[in-house]
Formats: sequence, structure tokens, C-alpha cells
Amino acid sequence: MDVSNSCSSFSSSSVDSTKPSPSESSVNLSLSLTFPSTSPQREARQDWPPITSRLRDTLKGRRLIRRGNDTSLFVKVYMEGVPIGRKLDLCAFSGYESLLENLSHMFDTSIICGNRDRKHHVLTYEDKDGDWMMVGDIPWDMFLETVRRLKITRPERY
Amino acid sequence: MNYFPDEVIEHVFDFVVSHKDRNSISLVCKSWHKIERFSRKEVFIGNCYAINPERLIGRFPCLKSLTLKGKPHFADFNLVPHEWGGFVLPWIEALARSRVGLEELRLKRMVVTDESLELLSRSFANFKSLVLVSCEGFTTDGLASIATNCRHLRELDLQENEIDDHRGQWLNCFPDSCTTLISLNFACLKGETNVAALERLVARSPNLKSLKLNRAVPLDALARLMSCAPQLVDLGVGSYENEPDPESFAKLMTAIEKCISLRSLSGFLEVAPLCLPAFYPICQNLISLNLSYAAEIQGNHLIKLIQLCKRLQRLWILDSIGDKGLVVVADTCKELQELRVFPSDVHGEEDNIAAVTEVGLVAISAGCPKLHSILYFCKQMTNAALIAVAKNCPNFIRFRLCILEPHKPDHITSQSLDEGFGAIVQACKGLRRLSVSGLLTDQVFLYIGMYAEQLEMLSIAFAGDTDKGMLYVLNGCKKMRKLEIRDSPFGNAALLADVGRYETMRSLWMSSCEVTLGGCKRLAQNSPRLNVEIINENENNRMEQNEEDEGEKVDKLYLYRTVVGTRKDAPPYVRIL
Repeated sequence: MDVSNSCSSFSSSSVDSTKPSPSESSVNLSLSLTFPSTSPQREARQDWPPITSRLRDTLKGRRLIRRGNDTSLFVKVYMEGVPIGRKLDLCAFSGYESLLENLSHMFDTSIICGNRDRKHHVLTYEDKDGDWMMVGDIPWDMFLETVRRLKITRPERY
Repeated sequence: MNYFPDEVIEHVFDFVVSHKDRNSISLVCKSWHKIERFSRKEVFIGNCYAINPERLIGRFPCLKSLTLKGKPHFADFNLVPHEWGGFVLPWIEALARSRVGLEELRLKRMVVTDESLELLSRSFANFKSLVLVSCEGFTTDGLASIATNCRHLRELDLQENEIDDHRGQWLNCFPDSCTTLISLNFACLKGETNVAALERLVARSPNLKSLKLNRAVPLDALARLMSCAPQLVDLGVGSYENEPDPESFAKLMTAIEKCISLRSLSGFLEVAPLCLPAFYPICQNLISLNLSYAAEIQGNHLIKLIQLCKRLQRLWILDSIGDKGLVVVADTCKELQELRVFPSDVHGEEDNIAAVTEVGLVAISAGCPKLHSILYFCKQMTNAALIAVAKNCPNFIRFRLCILEPHKPDHITSQSLDEGFGAIVQACKGLRRLSVSGLLTDQVFLYIGMYAEQLEMLSIAFAGDTDKGMLYVLNGCKKMRKLEIRDSPFGNAALLADVGRYETMRSLWMSSCEVTLGGCKRLAQNSPRLNVEIINENENNRMEQNEEDEGEKVDKLYLYRTVVGTRKDAPPYVRIL
């Protein structure tokens, strides 16, 4: 089974394993330069730590993450047609306006909410029921509770 | 005693309840063995492959309650493949054929099918109680058979099972005449629930004491359910994600206030934190609280709730409570006996800000004098902390510490944690169960072998240096029943040093260690009363008999004592030597 970078110290027993290994920190650095808000990809082990599958699944579904005194809500964002996505902390925005502004900047294109438009990209989201919905219809707080991920659709879709 | 008629002796035996004691009684003399046999009502079988159903029924024909355990403990962590074994069907078939008056069946880590449940429901007229823990292989159709056919059902308790939810109407299958339910737990069901059927069932079950809902039961339904069951002692809340409107919240509060018998609370699978205050009124009565699935609730909300639970004896929680929260627990819950702190960040997504550390553990040990069982997941630990904990709490029966990063040393001194765990085993003379973690050498096992005289179960992961470690344990811990080891450098020398020892234990598990095929073969050679199983799922590694490399390391070894020889139901990737 695949083992993540952080587990590479299994074989050496007297290494101070509190610091990340050199290869891990350079991976972090290069990733943070190209994808500012992406956490490094880690392969998840299914047999460590020793918790039951039910708890593991519950935690996987967890969206709110502690970071210091704040919380973050990281969701994946994909631009239709582009295979590599981004990750975005929705808690960093005050509402739909700042979200759209930031996304437009991130993807270097104009993105709107609401009405279909043959010229602009439209922002959609997947809710907790698995349905794809138009962003902007519900109050921002409610949106935060239900959003699972975002997708920026191509203009000609509609 | 032999001057008394059998009935009198039997009456005396009725007062002896524990399995160990009853087993001892049956060894006294032939006459007692016979009387005990026919009067035994409850039988506990820790390993379903140690004995077979025919012999069980032959010895205890009057049994009413059977407990069976199947897969080894590490199966909980995906280390045992699904089809490994532990099938309950042959047991139910045999019991049905022999017309045993079965009333209660408790299964753990077994494979249960809809067919077995159907057979169970039809074969025993007086069947009252079904408890399934960490089982798999069945669907809600099987539950429907139980509901339909078990006329006197009192208990249906499903804990942590993998159940295929067909979204059927199993709750509807309880006939209107069914009014005997005392306990109903379906928290692990993933699909929708027929809430109306559930409400009708609860309304006609005046004896219902324990009700645990799944995530599909919404807030307003919860309020109605609690209103018609104010006698509840044990409640598992489903989920309610959105903040409730004031009216629903008020209804919930009113319903909860009436539940003055409520002592145990669990669930909260997906909860909007603002719903928690509805439970504040009954917190002072709670003795058990399980919030280990409440992944979305942050520390400060948890703390507010726990501050009110002054009578708490059992607390299961996520590490999002933080050291700060554990200090509050230590100050508030003076009756605490059992604490479990589970990790909330298993993918290492969060910053290195540790959720709970040695600070929380020491605080708990200092503040809770009655603490005897602990399971603690954390990112760091120190010897000094463990030594302090040992001094504060010499009464531990169960001590399980899991440091998330394997081989992690004392984060202040960078030394191994041998001394810390050594202090624990030396101070806690009644210790029966221990799990160790972090950076550990053979020394810790020397301490365990020397001091842990009552130890019955030991879990080792990523620890030790040489075979000596395992030998210290096998030679020293005379009461060891279950030893499970993974990713540790113990090999054939340790495995083969005292083969007879394994017949005094229930089982030994070794995975990703240094034992080889040759070693296992030698072990199996002179041990007719041991089943030595090699589990090798990797297709490429499976060689033909004549190409075998005896020096090849064994992926997973599971051996256990048995009086019925090799089992016939093993899948192809399990080789029994």
C-alpha cells in the first residue's frame, strides 16, 4: 500500500521525527508558490491511525478545519475543461462578491453568479445532496453549510 | 456439597454468573461438571474458530444466550480482508437444528448475512435480543425479517456495522402487536428512515429505555420522539445541520426537559452547534457522553456542554476539545472513570498546532481520581508526563496511548518513551490492557514483562529493536491472552522460543514483522491445537508449493488455539499451516 512522505521515517528509529524531512519541505515550498491555497497532497493510509472505518469516513467528510484560532472551510474549485483544480478557503470571504472577485482573479477570467450568460463563466456548486446548483441563490451562511465543491462552467454550456 | 441434591447445587450455581467462575466450577469434579453443564444459560466464545457449534450444543444444551467473536481486533483497522471468515450461519443452523431455546445472540466482528438473520428470526420462538457489533454482510432486508418474525423482541442493537441500506421499510415490519422493545439502536444505518413508522413504534413501546437514531432523523422528529418517550435513559441523536428556527428549538427544549431519566447521550452526527443548548437542562444527570462523531462541533461549544456534566463517568470525544477543554473536564467531571479522545485530523491537513498533548493527559490524571480506562490519541508525548500520570492514577485497568506519528520520541528530550510507559506498568498493578506507541526500544518490553503481571491484552505498533522485546513480554506476562503486533522487528527467534505458550493465550497477531514462512511452518509442525494462518492478499507473492521460499517474510500471521483443528471456510489467500 502507498505510504505518504510523512511516514518515510518508519525504518529509522532514532531520527528526530518532529521536523519534516528535507524532501517534504521542498515539496511544500514549490507547491505553495504555484498553488497558494493548496495543502500538499497526502496519500491517506487506511490502517493508521488505528480508528474504525466509520470514524475515518466521518472525519473525511469533515469540512471545517481548525487553524490556530480561526476555522477554514476548504473546498475544491475546478474550471471546466481544466483537469487540475484549486483549493479555496471559503471562510476567508465575507460573501459572494468577494468570492467572485477572488475567483475571477485566480482564474484570470470574468466569473459571475446567477443568470446564464453566453459570454461569462458561471459559478456553480455541489451541495450536500450531491446536486449541482447555481451559486448566489441562498444566503451566504447557508451556502457555507451546504457547499461541497465549486465548478466554473464554460460560457457556451448554456 | 455432594450431600445435597443436584437441584440445590444448581440453585447455588445460579448465583455464579461470570464465565470464568463457571468454568472453574466445572473443573471441580464430574458431578459438578455435569450440573454446571445443564444449568449454563450464557456462553461466551471469544474466538468462533476455537470450538464448533456441535460441541458447544453438546456441552451446553440448555443455553439461552450466546456471545461469539470472529475476526481479530486489528480487523477494525482494515488489516484483515473482508472475506477472511467469521461466518455466523453455521452456528445459527446448528442451533436451529438442535432446537436450542436461544433468546439472545451477541456477535462481534462476524459476517452475518440476510439469510442468517432470516433463519434466526424463524427458528427461535422466544428470541429476545440481538446485538451486532462491527459486523458486516447483511442489509436492511435482514433487519426486516427480525422485525417481522421475532414476536418477543426486546433488543435490537446495531453498533458500528457495515449494513447495506436498501432504504426499505424495515421499521414498518414491526407488527402493531410489538410493544416489548427496550432497546433500539440503528445509528450506523446510512440511508433514510421511515420517520412515521419509527414514531409509531416508539409510541407503542412503553418500556423503551434506549433509542439511538441514524443521521436521517431530523430535528422536529427528534422532538416528537422524545415527547412520546420521556422515560428514555439512553439517547443517540441523529443529525440536524441547519440552525433550527426558534419554534422547533423551543419544542425540542420542552421535550428534552421532560426526559429526566436520560443518563446517556451520543450521536450528534452532523450537528449545527446552536442546537446543543437544547440539551443543557439534562446535562447534570448524564453519566455517559459520546461526542466522538460530532466532527463539526468546535472545542468551545463542546466545553460549554461538558461544563454542565458534573456527574459524567464516561466521556468519548474528539481532540478538537483541545488541552484547554481537557482541563475543563478535569475540573468538572470528578466522577470520570473512562475517557476516550479520538483524533480529528487523520490526514495531516491541519497546522502543527496539536489539538491535545501531554498537558491534557496530565490534567485529566490529576483531576479525575476515579479514572481507570483511557484511550488517548495525540501528536506528542513526554516521559515526564507519563511518569506524572502514573503517579496520579495508579488504578488504571486499561491504558491505551496512540501517538499519531510512528516512532515519535519524547518531544522535549528526544529520547524514547520507554521510561514513561515503564512508570505506567510499574504503578498500575491492576493493568489488564495496554497499547503502546511512539519511539520505543526493547527496554519498554523488559519493563512490561517485569511489572505488568495482570496484563491480558497488549497492542504493539512500530516499536522494539530485536526479538528480545517480544520475548520479554511472552516470558513475563503470564496472564497474556491477546497479543497483537504490527510493523515491529520481531522474528522467528521470538516466535518459536516457547510454542507451548500460545495454547495459554487466545491469539497472536503479527503483521509486517520479521517472521518468515519457514518459521511459521516450524511453529505449526508440532502444534495440533494451534491454527497458524498466513494471510497474503498480494497475488504476485503467492507462489506454487514447490517454489516456496521459506526465507520469505510473512505479511500477516494470525495464530490461535483451537480444539477443532483447521477450519474449512478460509478464502484462497489464507493459508493454514
